[in-house]
Amino acid sequence: MKNFKLYILSGLLFVAACKPEIHTPSLSRGTANFSRFIAVGNSLTAGYSNGGLYLDGQLNSYPSIMAKQMAQVGGGAFNQPLFTSAQANGSGYLTLAGFTKTGSPIIDTVTTDLAIRSEYNAPGFGPVILYTKYTGDIENYGVPGIKLLNITFPQYGNYNGYFERLLPGDGSTTTLNTDYLDFVTAKPFTFFTDWLGNNDALSYATTGGAGDVLTDKTTFAQLYEASLQALTAGGAKGVVATIPDVTSIPYFNTVTVAAINAQVAALGAKLYITALVSGTTYAPRLATNSDLIVLTFPTSMLGTLVSTPYGPLPYGLTPYTPVDNKYVLDANEVALTRDYVQSYNNTIKTQAAARGLAVFDAYTYLNNVQLNGLEIDGISLSSAYITGGLFSLDGVHLTPRGYAIIANEFIKAINTTYSANVPLANVASYQGLKFP
Amino acid sequence: MKKLLLLVFALMPVISFAQGFQVNLEGEKQIGMGHTGTGLVQDGASVFFNPGAVAMLPENYVQGGISPLLFKSTFNPQGTNVQDHTANKIATPFTFYAAWGPKDSFWKLGLGVYTPFGGLTDWGDSWQGKYVLESLNLKAIYIQPTLSIKLADFLSVGGGFVYNRGSVDLTQAIPLTNSAGQDGQAELKGTGKGYGWNAGIYIVTEVGVTVGITHRSEVNTTINNGNAVFTVPSSLQAQFPQPNTFSSSIPLPATTSIGFGFYPNKQWTLAFDANAISWDVYKVLAFNYGSTTAAGLQNTVEQRDYKDAFSLRAGAQYKTNKNLAIRFGGGYATTAVEDGFVSPEAPDANRAFVTGGLGYTFSHHLDLDLSFEYEHVMSRDQTNIQTQLAGTFETNVYIPGISLAYHW
Repeated sequence: MKNFKLYILSGLLFVAACKPEIHTPSLSRGTANFSRFIAVGNSLTAGYSNGGLYLDGQLNSYPSIMAKQMAQVGGGAFNQPLFTSAQANGSGYLTLAGFTKTGSPIIDTVTTDLAIRSEYNAPGFGPVILYTKYTGDIENYGVPGIKLLNITFPQYGNYNGYFERLLPGDGSTTTLNTDYLDFVTAKPFTFFTDWLGNNDALSYATTGGAGDVLTDKTTFAQLYEASLQALTAGGAKGVVATIPDVTSIPYFNTVTVAAINAQVAALGAKLYITALVSGTTYAPRLATNSDLIVLTFPTSMLGTLVSTPYGPLPYGLTPYTPVDNKYVLDANEVALTRDYVQSYNNTIKTQAAARGLAVFDAYTYLNNVQLNGLEIDGISLSSAYITGGLFSLDGVHLTPRGYAIIANEFIKAINTTYSANVPLANVASYQGLKFP
Repeated sequence: MKKLLLLVFALMPVISFAQGFQVNLEGEKQIGMGHTGTGLVQDGASVFFNPGAVAMLPENYVQGGISPLLFKSTFNPQGTNVQDHTANKIATPFTFYAAWGPKDSFWKLGLGVYTPFGGLTDWGDSWQGKYVLESLNLKAIYIQPTLSIKLADFLSVGGGFVYNRGSVDLTQAIPLTNSAGQDGQAELKGTGKGYGWNAGIYIVTEVGVTVGITHRSEVNTTINNGNAVFTVPSSLQAQFPQPNTFSSSIPLPATTSIGFGFYPNKQWTLAFDANAISWDVYKVLAFNYGSTTAAGLQNTVEQRDYKDAFSLRAGAQYKTNKNLAIRFGGGYATTAVEDGFVSPEAPDANRAFVTGGLGYTFSHHLDLDLSFEYEHVMSRDQTNIQTQLAGTFETNVYIPGISLAYHW
């Protein structure tokens, strides 16, 4: 019997080595060359998340995820302007501290180990926060806040601390003279991603149409042309992305008119907003479900008494005390933003097609996610705030898992256009939102 | 007024088991011959293979066997060159049979304890499908008392009652990250029971060919009050109440078989079996929890929609002398799992297998039988409809076996 046991044991040891090997399709870079891949864009490209730029977010930026996959088909080093571990929290960011008894999130701000250098008042602009300088090599050129409108403006570094951080010279004391487009194209590169243009619409929308203006459509087309011209001048190939519908993000879909009306119905009240009539004329009116309330609207203001010529009246609940314009992207503003975004996207798709570039249609993709949700490897994701798993606490930027999904969509577009087989990233290995 | 947010964690552990989980390891002599035996009278394993044939056994039997099973599965996620492998874990399907009757009587009593369904799969906690499944240990142990009656020299019938004791231990990751960056975890662990029957008829034809026809009924196995352990970030624990229980019901399918035995000469025995397995009963898998929450843990119903499966088997035995038997065989089985429903707990596909075996009889009373089976589950490129886990599964199964049978 002893011998038989031994035979069986050694037999098992032998077969333990015989795991099935699946013949996988061979990886390939196709007609693309990833030896120096650069990423051009804004906060989404930089890895901004939870309302801030910080080391953990940078390490999970979609370009860095793509670069890891490209490294398997000849991709080169991919350097990001990382914050140091001592200043890992960068600009500071939002964290979830828990939930109230009624299920509302309690959100804290991280204010330790920041990389903030100083703050100065830019003449004619306002306060600009400056960060610890980064002087190493850069492949990820994502600059939070940048619009397409800004990319040829030589002094842009004086007005954006995230760009100033990458440039030589102190933006608070000297006039900087390097525009973004020149900066990113200074060194030769073979491949690029370009996801500029979001802020040209988003900065207007997130401030309820009150804090910024939409970039003119013709100007957008001219600048887009100039940027693609510069990016492809050295023969580089690349992939561009369209601009998401602003209404596909939780920033505009979490605090809703319907929910507020349901709450104030007990008081016999309804929500009034300051709405766009036409041009720059605004007037108070009853809110409808087509009006979008921003995520940052302090709902605690509702019903607090505001002094008016007619005496003190509850905020947001009478035509004399409507919710401020900056908290509402009303139906007309939504239509206006949509019209501009569609025009921008037509520009992006037309110009990319003319140059044979790959396109990731983020507009269609995120609208589809909002409509149908997204199931990946047993993870149920959606565009919902906090519970959706895709978007971070700021309701605009993504979680690492969300960025991994975006990276894979970019890779799919590259694989299609350049007959490549860049392997996809494992979405399950990137984290969703962190809960305490 | 508080910030107006309605939080609903529509996160349901995606739990599924009882796939193409039929274990065909019910006797070493039969395994050696391609797991045929419906139309033969070999030994006490007839209690499983054909209770109708038990009365035809020339002797009484007490026997036990074990078939350590190594299930080696590989997954290649779509669009990558990654290969995820299951860990080396050895499942231990076993058999125990007794068949007894007075010498030369027309009846025999039988008892079988065997494991017709089971699975042991461990993909680990870092693979691409961890939110679908990390590990699963599923066992069904059937206990079957049997009565067999010889109606004539050429005809016997038999039937048995089946009591099933099933157990399950399943773990999967929950996609809720805590502040340390770790996933949530779900573990479902419980035992259940079910009842069924089996019956068979055995015929010796005038030309010497033997024929067996059997039916093993569906055994609907119900697990009540299993332990449901959910580890999630503490701020969400209230949405996943603890302690908690679960209950579920799994129909283990009926199998109808016909088998033939041919005896060209004294040395050779040839056998053919065909089985139809009624997986069609497996439409949905429902899980109910002891306590659920409106915004978190909810009862689940998942579509399964299995189709009936078939297998064809053939085997041969050659007796070199009175004491030594050499056996070989093989077969082919179709999958019960339709396209779109393949999942990692038992990544099912059509399968082919070959077997071999050796038997030796010591001093007329003691049989020692060895068997080996190699099974290849065909590579299958699938996207699961529910989880969207997409990629190619391929599986090899290696099963040595040993049994001892005492007969008198």
